[in-house]
Amino acid sequence: MAFTPPTESYTGKVCALTIGLGDKAITFGGENVLPFHAFEGSIPNKPVIAFEIQDIPPDDWPEQVRKPYKDVANDPISWAKYCQDTLKAKAIALRLIGTHPDGENRSPEDAAKTVKDVLSAINIPLIILGSNHAEKDASVLISAAEAAKDKNCVIGKAQEANYKTIVAAAMAHNHKLIAMSELDINLSKQLNILIIQMGLERERIIIDPMCSALGYGLEYTYSVMERIRLAALTQNDTTMQPPMLGDVGMYVWKVKETQASETDIPNWGSVEERGITWEAVTATALLLAGADLLIMRHPKAVVAVEKVIEELV
Amino acid sequence: MLIIGEKLSIIAKRVREALLKKDKVPIQEIAIAQWKAGAGMIDANIGPAEDGGESLMEWMVTTIQEVVPLPICLDTTNYKAIEAGLKVHNNEWGRPLINSTSNDPERFPMLELAAKFNSQIIGLTVGKGGLPADAEERAAIAAEIMARAMEYGVPLEDLYLDPLVLQIATSQDHALKVINAIKMFQELNDPPMKTVVGLSNVSNGCPKYIRPILNSYFLSLLMYEGLTAAIADAQEVAATVKTINVILGKTLYAHSYLEM
Amino acid sequence: MALTGVEIFKLLPKTNCKKCGFPTCLAFAMKLAQRQASIDLCPDVSEEAKQKLGEASAPPVRPITFGVGDKSIKMGEETVLFRHDKRFVNPCAFALEIKDTLSEKDIRDRIEQVLNSEMERVGQKLRVDAVALMNDSHDTSRFEILAKTIFQNAPDIPVIICSENPSSAETAVKLFADRKPILYGANLENAEAFANIAKTYKTILGVKGNNLDELSSLTEKVKSLGVQDIVIDSGARKAKDILRDNTFIRRAAIKKNFKPLGYPIITFAQREYSLVEALIGTIGIAKYSSIIVFSSIEKWKNLALFTLRQNIYTDPQVPMQVEQKIYKIGEPTTTSPLLITTNFSLTYFIVSGEIENSKVPSYLAVIDSEGLSVLTAWAAGKFTAAKIAQFIKDTEVEKIINHRELIIPGYVAILSGAIEDKLEGWKVIVGPREANGLPAFLRSKL
Repeated sequence: MAFTPPTESYTGKVCALTIGLGDKAITFGGENVLPFHAFEGSIPNKPVIAFEIQDIPPDDWPEQVRKPYKDVANDPISWAKYCQDTLKAKAIALRLIGTHPDGENRSPEDAAKTVKDVLSAINIPLIILGSNHAEKDASVLISAAEAAKDKNCVIGKAQEANYKTIVAAAMAHNHKLIAMSELDINLSKQLNILIIQMGLERERIIIDPMCSALGYGLEYTYSVMERIRLAALTQNDTTMQPPMLGDVGMYVWKVKETQASETDIPNWGSVEERGITWEAVTATALLLAGADLLIMRHPKAVVAVEKVIEELV
Repeated sequence: MLIIGEKLSIIAKRVREALLKKDKVPIQEIAIAQWKAGAGMIDANIGPAEDGGESLMEWMVTTIQEVVPLPICLDTTNYKAIEAGLKVHNNEWGRPLINSTSNDPERFPMLELAAKFNSQIIGLTVGKGGLPADAEERAAIAAEIMARAMEYGVPLEDLYLDPLVLQIATSQDHALKVINAIKMFQELNDPPMKTVVGLSNVSNGCPKYIRPILNSYFLSLLMYEGLTAAIADAQEVAATVKTINVILGKTLYAHSYLEM
Repeated sequence: MALTGVEIFKLLPKTNCKKCGFPTCLAFAMKLAQRQASIDLCPDVSEEAKQKLGEASAPPVRPITFGVGDKSIKMGEETVLFRHDKRFVNPCAFALEIKDTLSEKDIRDRIEQVLNSEMERVGQKLRVDAVALMNDSHDTSRFEILAKTIFQNAPDIPVIICSENPSSAETAVKLFADRKPILYGANLENAEAFANIAKTYKTILGVKGNNLDELSSLTEKVKSLGVQDIVIDSGARKAKDILRDNTFIRRAAIKKNFKPLGYPIITFAQREYSLVEALIGTIGIAKYSSIIVFSSIEKWKNLALFTLRQNIYTDPQVPMQVEQKIYKIGEPTTTSPLLITTNFSLTYFIVSGEIENSKVPSYLAVIDSEGLSVLTAWAAGKFTAAKIAQFIKDTEVEKIINHRELIIPGYVAILSGAIEDKLEGWKVIVGPREANGLPAFLRSKL
């Protein structure tokens, strides 16, 4: 029996989105097929990996992922420069974790200053993230967005509880926006609708369906992403067509498997390689499910995932 | 199609308070309203009712049947409460309906009660653990419940198969699977098996103004596939039921059909 | 096309004799329709019906058991392309390659690694399932030594015998004749010889094409020679090609019912760098491979890939459950708060995450609710005052804390009185309805 390749065509297309300025600007999204299905459609852009840094020293990161940054992480400017110049990062994600009310409770003004400093030190695109405290993020991201005015950054994350102010800030200062909901495709669509109704074009949204780590709910994120992508492509659901984010590092580097020493659990093998693998496998699985933008921490995990992306496109 | 009036549920604050105070007035008001709107049976949902379930169900059944000449759908996971309700049920108004047995061994004793009290019973097509994936799995479970019913001496005519309606807000794909299951269930026996759904669960978690719309359209599709009964708010769905009956040729059209 | 349960029922004897193990012919028919039972269980079905059913009920991806005994591996039987549609059925097997060019010591080391690969994760025992014998030397006697070493040291591990040389292949296959090995290497040149060996020794035949067209005609050919159990390799080695070919194979089998590709897929993922190899394995696990061959199996890599396989092959309908017990979050002391919730894993992840965010060390009691979330579990009678009270008593949490306060989810506030009645000396505190209220709630209690 002769074999005819069962290709499929899709009615929808993922929005292409450009961040940053000048020749360092990057574009992701734009595909009209399922992830890496170049054999039946077009994939104009590769997924992008951003290196995660933060406004305060990463004392809550496990040893294995603090180590690569030990000489630079005391200061977000040197950290950002190191990622850009030494690690050849294509983008940086600055998490303003120091603003969390239970932590250092830094002010929105402090956050704005950090953003300005980091922006003046790098020329690659910047993603500006709050501390995931819905209320505080609203004020922090307004200041941060203003400090980064017209730099075409990404700000986030806008959630159901705080999206109005953050969307307004993104609109006023010409940024892209991350819209996050908690592992619920219907709420994700609803949030996008509300944001679009406020006047932010869908071409400026990035969907974060909420990440989860390998072994800790990864299959939920995986399936929600697959379903969002299918809705975008097969149902031509325009509200589900923004590209998707996998905020991988933060979720991976808090699970036991990335921290427990080999002495404690000999059967798990080397903690260094285990942690890196945990991050890289989580990231790769989400790429296969449809993520276009990843935020990661360990340089070796990034290198491996980029190698696989090269092999996949 | 039989409407089983659903407003008497412990989940509703007004009902919960009435149950706590054993205040007949709100219970009877609701029951009468459901009856007048076209309910042919009243659902009495007292929740898991671990403590005092027996007296609570007794009180519910007698309180409702004092004012409404309808049979009761006894709705709780508490076996003893069901038994107590069946004992006081006034069969003059029709035979009661136990809500429910399933393919979970914990629920098999409900079949024993149905046989003993000559009651009708709902068979919820779920097993222990997970939810059925699709219509086929629901039908497979249904076939097992049917076998179990025969074992316990419950005639298949007395068994109502319930495909388990899930929330559209979280399990959208199941809405269509439930519609297909209603069709499939009927093919499992000749005469066709009876079917029932807990209608309003489809719109659980949705904004208030959407709920009646979802409930009504969903019911229309289920009726088209031959649904026998729905646990639903009679006031909310009365017009839908009457209209679909006209469209399907089950009642004769007249300009005033909605008032009948 | 597949028959419905009722259509199958019409072909059965309708005697309800129970000899099949099901209570009625109808119940049996429904199981047949879902391919959860075999028609062979019915001793009274007519030959004609059997044939009709056989044709109609042949699954789109042929079910094959690889190996024998406790360590045998089920493959095939897949019915969907996306895991959210329905559970992926048979988790893919992992195999370690062992080359016949290695020294005997290295061969033994690698066998040891496979034998010691087992680890437990959320109640499941996971291991590297098979070994792949590679005839890299192209030498028959070396291959025989390898096969013997494996046969002697790991007799019950399923083996994949990889060679393109019929005489090498046969020498090795002989040893494992009654162990249902995979003989891998049938191609355009040797298909006939390999089909004969496979038939003689009742092995599964691994067929390799250079593309899907060639692969389809090869499987048709070996099938016509009498081989039924086949695993297929399109020749893809690069990530992009593996993803494309695996997608085409699964689609062709399921959506087009294209029989020549309706077999389990074997994927060779070997790479120079182990981490990259793990990521190629990730693609195989997520995208339809039934067997993945690796060049190394470090423990850290195994743990990650076992976990991914578990995640991808979880039933999306059965909510994932966590173990029923008292979890420590942070480093709680005898005065730390005690909260209770259900064992739906998403509930657990979100609740424990919010407790972590609060930075208030706490105990979280997780009760077995069959994987239902709080409100559903309550309605289904799985999260009731009596069950909660019993659980608190059984866990003897009273020995690790010196207070008697239990925080319950706001959604089941209604239970507070009843729990206090059943748990003498305890006070029940109603927590927030949603987990995101926990940080503020817990801090306010400090």
